Parts: sequence; structure tokens; C-alpha cells
Amino acid sequence: MAAAVTSPVRSEVLSLFRSFLRTSRQFSDYNIREYTRRRAADAFRENRALADAPTAAAAFAEGKKQLEVAKRQAKNTMFHATLLTKMW
Amino acid sequence: MAAAALGPAILRRIRLSPSPSSSQPFAAAAAAAASHPHALARWLSRPMSSHDAHLTREEVVDRVLDVLKSHPKVDPSKVNPDAHFEKDLGLDSLDTVEVVMAIEEEFKLEIPDREADKIDSLPLAIEYVSNHPMAA
Repeated sequence: MAAAVTSPVRSEVLSLFRSFLRTSRQFSDYNIREYTRRRAADAFRENRALADAPTAAAAFAEGKKQLEVAKRQAKNTMFHATLLTKMW
Repeated sequence: MAAAALGPAILRRIRLSPSPSSSQPFAAAAAAAASHPHALARWLSRPMSSHDAHLTREEVVDRVLDVLKSHPKVDPSKVNPDAHFEKDLGLDSLDTVEVVMAIEEEFKLEIPDREADKIDSLPLAIEYVSNHPMAA
């Protein structure tokens, strides 16, 4: 029995996009911060026209995965920055 | 903000001479307080909020307009306090999210999602910031 595939609701998509922007704020490095923002904006815009539910749902799921990656990176960057300041 | 410093500066220069007793509580209180200048200053300043950093509406409008004009996708000539992000400025929903985030950064706020979703025009953005006690 196939599970029902529902495409994400508009507010969910915007919420995910907002989460990317918030996470990017945690990067103190300007280049990484701007890259994260621009890449997220480009990806969301590219996928905006996805017509059928399964493709949209897959893109949304991928987006959530990427958000987790970005969040981990932000945490590591802060961790390393803290380490560096403590060493000196 | 210069305006916020005016209040205390003015108070420092006020001298009240106590008037003969009257039935008005205001004058009586002023008369009593006049003999103690520091108490007077404190009493007078109370109606002026201790929240000296509170923004005037004009300042909020100016800064929100600037945020919009600085956005790469916005035509600055179209920006006015009544503009709707999508209908007047031609932004899409993703741009709107970016704009609201930029407004958060400008005023050092964090706007919860359910509130941010409602902000789709300049009047709403200005209203939200003006009403927010923590806007800086």
C-alpha cells in the first residue's frame, strides 16, 4: 500500500526558507553567510514551479535535510571559533 | 536619539516657584515637590516613559523605507509607506520573507513565524515595528 504523498503547504515552504535565513545568520563569515542565503533563495525559486505532488514533496524533504546540514555547520563554526579564542 | 535626551535636559533647567495653595492637586503636588528639586524631576519624568529608547513613528517609517530601498529586487522609486510588497513592489513570497528578515535585523527583533506570515506590506511592517516594545 503506497503512502499518500502530499506536497508541502505554502506556509511550510516559507517557514523552511525562513529557517535557512535564520541559520545563515549564525555564520560569522560573510562569504558563507551570503552563500547560504543565496543558495537557499535560488533553490527555492527554482523549485517553485514544481507541479506534481511527489516531486514537490521530495524537494521539500531534501530541503529539510540541507537545513540540518547547514545547522550542523553553523554549530561547528561556532565551536571552532570558540576553541580558537580559548587557545589564544 | 537626540529627542530622548531632551526630556531630562529640559527637566534639569526647570525651576518652579511654589504658588499659594490652591484646590488643584496638581498645583499642590507641584508646590510640595518644588521644595525638593530631585523629587520634582522624578515626578515630572514619570509620564515620560522610562523607555527612553522608544522609537518615534517617523523614525520607524524612515528606517523601514530604507530597508526596502536597500533590497536588490526593489525599485527604490516605488517605495512609499503604503506600498504592498507583491502588488506594488513586484516581489514574490520568497522576497517578502527576505524583506521581513531584513526588517528584523534593522530593528533587532525576532518576529515569530505566525506574525511574520501576516506582514505583506509596508503599512503592516511599520505597524508591527511601531507596536513592538523591544524595537531598537
